Amino acid sequence: MQRDIRKWFMKAHDKGNDNASTNAEKKPPPIEPKTETPVREGQEGSGRRKTSKYFAANKQKQKGDEEVEDLPAKRKAQNDGVQSVKAPPSKKVRKVEDDEEDDDFSVPKKKNGASPSKKLKSSSGRGIAQKPVDVNESDEDDVKNIESPLKSGGRGRGGRGVSGAPSGGRGRGSGRGGFMNFGERKDPPHKGEKEVPEGAPNCLAGLTFVISGTLDSLEREEAEDLIKRHGGRITGSVSKKTSYLLCDEDIEGRKSSKAKELGTPFLTEDGLFDKIRSSKNIKAPAREDSKVPVEKVTSLPKKSPQKADLKTHKDLAAGSPLAKQKNQAIKPSSLTWTEKYRPKVPNEMIGNQSLVTQLHNWLKNWNEQFHDAGNKGKGKKQNDSTAKKAVLLSGPPGIGKTTSANLVSKMLGFQAIEVNASDNRGKADSKIFKGISGSNANCIKELISNEALGFDMDRSKHLKTVLIMDEVDGMSAGDRGGVADLIASIKISKIPIICICNDRYSQKLKSLVNYCLLLSFRKPTKQQMSKRLIQVANAEGLQVNEIALEELAERVNGDMRMALNQLQYMSLSMSVINYDDVRQRLQGSAKDEDISPFTAVDKLFGFSGGKLRMDERIGLSMSDPDLVPLLIQENYINYRPASIGKDDNGMKRMRLIARAAESIADGDIINVQIRRYRQWQLSQAGSLSSCIIPAALLHGSRETLEQGERNFNRFGGWLGKNSTVGKNLRLLEDLHVHLLASRESNLGRDTLRLDYLTVLLKQLTDPPSACCPRALDEDEAVEKVVEFMNVYSINQEDMDTIVELSKFQGHGNPLDGIPSTVKAALTRAYKDENKSRMVRAADLVALPGKKKALKKRVAAILEPSDDGLREENGDALAESEEENSSDTEDTEGTGNGEKLQSELLSLNSKGIQVEVELKSGKEKSKAKKTPTGRGKGGSASTEKKPAGRGRGGSGSSEKPGAKRKEMSSL
Amino acid sequence: MLWVDKYRPKTLDQVIVHQEIAENLKKLVTEQDCPHLLFYGPSGSGKKTLIMALLRQIFGISAEKVKVENRTWKIDAGSRTIDLELTTLSSTNHVELSPSDAGFQDRYIVQEIIKEMAKNRPIDTKGRKGYKVLVLNEVDKLSREAQHSLRRTMEKYSASCRLILCCNSSSKVTEAIRSRCLNVRINAPKEDQIVKVLEFIGKKEGLQLPPGFAARVADKSNRSLRRAILSFETCRVQQYPFSSNQAIPPMDWEEYVSEICSDMMREQSPKRLFQVRGKLYELLINCIPPEIILKKLLSELLKKLDEELKHEVCHWAAYYEHRMRMGQKAIFHLEAFVAKFMSVYKAFLIETFG
Repeated sequence: MQRDIRKWFMKAHDKGNDNASTNAEKKPPPIEPKTETPVREGQEGSGRRKTSKYFAANKQKQKGDEEVEDLPAKRKAQNDGVQSVKAPPSKKVRKVEDDEEDDDFSVPKKKNGASPSKKLKSSSGRGIAQKPVDVNESDEDDVKNIESPLKSGGRGRGGRGVSGAPSGGRGRGSGRGGFMNFGERKDPPHKGEKEVPEGAPNCLAGLTFVISGTLDSLEREEAEDLIKRHGGRITGSVSKKTSYLLCDEDIEGRKSSKAKELGTPFLTEDGLFDKIRSSKNIKAPAREDSKVPVEKVTSLPKKSPQKADLKTHKDLAAGSPLAKQKNQAIKPSSLTWTEKYRPKVPNEMIGNQSLVTQLHNWLKNWNEQFHDAGNKGKGKKQNDSTAKKAVLLSGPPGIGKTTSANLVSKMLGFQAIEVNASDNRGKADSKIFKGISGSNANCIKELISNEALGFDMDRSKHLKTVLIMDEVDGMSAGDRGGVADLIASIKISKIPIICICNDRYSQKLKSLVNYCLLLSFRKPTKQQMSKRLIQVANAEGLQVNEIALEELAERVNGDMRMALNQLQYMSLSMSVINYDDVRQRLQGSAKDEDISPFTAVDKLFGFSGGKLRMDERIGLSMSDPDLVPLLIQENYINYRPASIGKDDNGMKRMRLIARAAESIADGDIINVQIRRYRQWQLSQAGSLSSCIIPAALLHGSRETLEQGERNFNRFGGWLGKNSTVGKNLRLLEDLHVHLLASRESNLGRDTLRLDYLTVLLKQLTDPPSACCPRALDEDEAVEKVVEFMNVYSINQEDMDTIVELSKFQGHGNPLDGIPSTVKAALTRAYKDENKSRMVRAADLVALPGKKKALKKRVAAILEPSDDGLREENGDALAESEEENSSDTEDTEGTGNGEKLQSELLSLNSKGIQVEVELKSGKEKSKAKKTPTGRGKGGSASTEKKPAGRGRGGSGSSEKPGAKRKEMSSL
Repeated sequence: MLWVDKYRPKTLDQVIVHQEIAENLKKLVTEQDCPHLLFYGPSGSGKKTLIMALLRQIFGISAEKVKVENRTWKIDAGSRTIDLELTTLSSTNHVELSPSDAGFQDRYIVQEIIKEMAKNRPIDTKGRKGYKVLVLNEVDKLSREAQHSLRRTMEKYSASCRLILCCNSSSKVTEAIRSRCLNVRINAPKEDQIVKVLEFIGKKEGLQLPPGFAARVADKSNRSLRRAILSFETCRVQQYPFSSNQAIPPMDWEEYVSEICSDMMREQSPKRLFQVRGKLYELLINCIPPEIILKKLLSELLKKLDEELKHEVCHWAAYYEHRMRMGQKAIFHLEAFVAKFMSVYKAFLIETFG
């Protein structure tokens, strides 16, 4: 049956008039040789049978069903003839794919234990006549192996179902260096003890490996490198296509069980080495063979019917395409490759096809949606979320945003007007009647408010324009008001606007995103990219290994433009590019990535942290010179250093930790030099001692120190703690000022914290908590506390501060023993006292109608106290007398500062009148300090009272602005 | 009002503990012109009290009419303007401030603010002294640059201004400044002196003091009179009448530090180090100065350590204390000390007990 299908395919191909499905086109060659070599065919057939049986037994029955379904369809197609090949192309492709996969799968089966080149050798021994065929076949195998995943991206849903697994696995695989795996994998037991063999460059070509567990002597990264260098592929998880599972110990993980299920052969590290070594023994023939595949590989892929034609030609005459390519390459090109190979039709775009389609649809429907709607009432449409007048394309650079915008507009017959960062995009003159007068922004205004410039409207097909605003996130200093203007433009625009930016979440664009349809371009997968790169390489006559291009694609991190530039640059010096070249080339020039501090710390502390080069370490620690040291400091205790061998009592580790801690402290000292004395030349030394040395001492596996802690690096605790310290110091300072203002004591802040605080807390909390057990009268207790608070002019916030600062982890809250009724009573009593309390600090003045009286700590106002700070409730006479005396006294006393005097004057000149309200009667004199309940004037006078003294005024006049605001708000 | 404030001697005559110094000071200001003064001594020994009493002696009662001000100074420092907020305590004749509050910008305070204040000569009215006094607290915390700037100010404006410097340790004040001042060392009061003061207070308050109780309080106070009086009052709040074996409550933070200390002694492991870091943070968050933490930690450790380790641990404590002063993030240095101690102590334990 299978063969029937192949024959049918052959027929279709032989007819040679089928250029519909390129995939179908590609298919025939592989089969041809196979039919010619019956022995092989038989093997293959058995292999396939085995696998299909496997499938049947497998849970993947669904797949089998699909296959069955496919087959009748195919038969029908056979009957219908060639035309029907076009009709269900996707299905066919799928089928082909399945076939291919079966083939792939069978390949390792028959070559079990032998490298492809070995196999080639044996076959070449069979006879010279057969050799080209064999070569051809192996080529095709290669091609298939390599290509099948490539197709996954471009194909629809079905395709992804088949080959999605490996590519998904790859995604995970690339994250392998991340922190997820730290601590799981141990060091290879015989690390570095074995000699790593060197084999023929492509001896592993076409084989797909999955690495599991710890290898005997190689680190995972080294093994990957080794396999890639020899042309093999690495995927993250086992699939049908996996040739070998590389592992030295069966750790019964997911990978090995899957491999067993699928019948994937296991390969030990030694086996791998043997494979590679054996290829070297036959190096001479292998070289030849492997050379050819490279050429073929590069020449095979097809991007257009033309190409396919070219390929059929090649099948006939192997030499001719090469010659043709040479011609192409020789042809001098003035364009850079990025321009030369810019996609010409939307279908050529790599990745993001659905977004391009979306853009296409949006642009196509724009006129109907907005023009017609604009003529009628557009309110309804405007609310429709799908109908935005502008579109915002976002995504990292080099993935074809501008290109797709241009392409789509071209395809729909729009004339694209591109405005980018090289143009001035500031705010347009509001007076549009001035004319456009050279300003670009005005041009845009003109453009969008007019439709089809200069063309007569009655013609049905008038010229359509679209405005492409490129790099909108680059609208900055020079383009003042640019974004706002753009939004305004969008609102009135009569033509579609496409905005393009890199970072959609940029602060600048916050307002813009509401007016745009958002299309976020994603990076193309590396398979997609390498496919395109192969096309380019072909066209340029460059011989590039597929693996090499994948590596290139990976290194540039999705930036197609950069990949092309790199490729072009490399093409200048060499015509054959292989994996090592790419690796070497891009080692240093890898695209700068934003590396998060966490990643940097992970890498530094990671298992392979000891193998990083010095510049890499510096680079990592400098990625954020402020955060990385904090993260290191936070987490270094958690690492069990790999550098010490046996450490039975933890002594060595403790010693290393002590050294690391000292080094971190060194870093802090250096940091002071850098920041305080601007000795920036020390920054390398700083990062050395704060990051690199601790990491070098302690890199290893991470362990948790607390139960329930996740085994990830914590964020540096210092920042948060430091800000809490700052806050608490501020609160303490408030309390300090109040205590000073009470004039009862003349203490320093540290003394306050160290000695006084405990006693203050006792005084404030003991009576209330004592009133429970000892049945001390509640009122009495409250009264006592309030009295104490008054003496030291402690307010309730200060009380909270005292309590807050006395809390220690693991110790009870000082307020615990106090019943809530007493607390409430205390609050009430304190509030009541407000009316009669003598105010000593400016921020204690409660202004009616204002929650926060004055800016905290503006000035503390004092009453002279030597002759008694008697009585809050003392008699009014004494009070007012005191007021007077203090006033008079100060007028003589202010002699101490002409400055103060002048400040006072300036205060006056600023229009703040100084008036001292002395009112008769106890209540009123009190009112001086207790503005509560008084109206506007009263509180104003409280404000001015210090001024009248000539002292508080100087304090507050420092902030005349704030003061005046205060006044005006009254 | 707390006893510690209530019974603070207001004049030099009332001083109980440092009577000799008080008399000398009195002679100094009455008989001749007052030089710059540097008071140094441990906390709770009475420096501030003496200074205030001295000021009262010089300026009379007006020295006690102080006001607290918190003002922002705009300082032009070359290319930029710095806003500094500073709390000052001032009467007509003196200004008291803690320049070290400004952190590493203390240089500007000395260079600009203090100079500005020193420049202004008070108007001599009613035959008052023709100079004003600047009281600078915590001079030992001043950065080196600030101290260097200070010495010029001291010379240049000595005609109109006297500086009274106050600090805990004179070793952290530069030689140049010390030589420009009359150094007054205020010793911590002896325990019997403390007992005397406590008994005086007890008598004034009309309290029944059980025999030996005052001595116990004095013993616990670590020869800090302030501490003694405060804990005396705490005891009073806690329980009255006193019983002779009444527990004298320790300061909350001291209790916590000794907890940390016993943690460190009990186990030396990364895990423990991590816990200790958490506790140290806790102390810092509660505004305990890191130097005090380190000092207290050391003294607690010394209580428990073997003789042969004491020297080494002291060495490391001093080493890290010095580095802490040069650095900025205190916790790093505290942690480094703890790690070092753990490493040393663990090695010692293994060596001794295997």
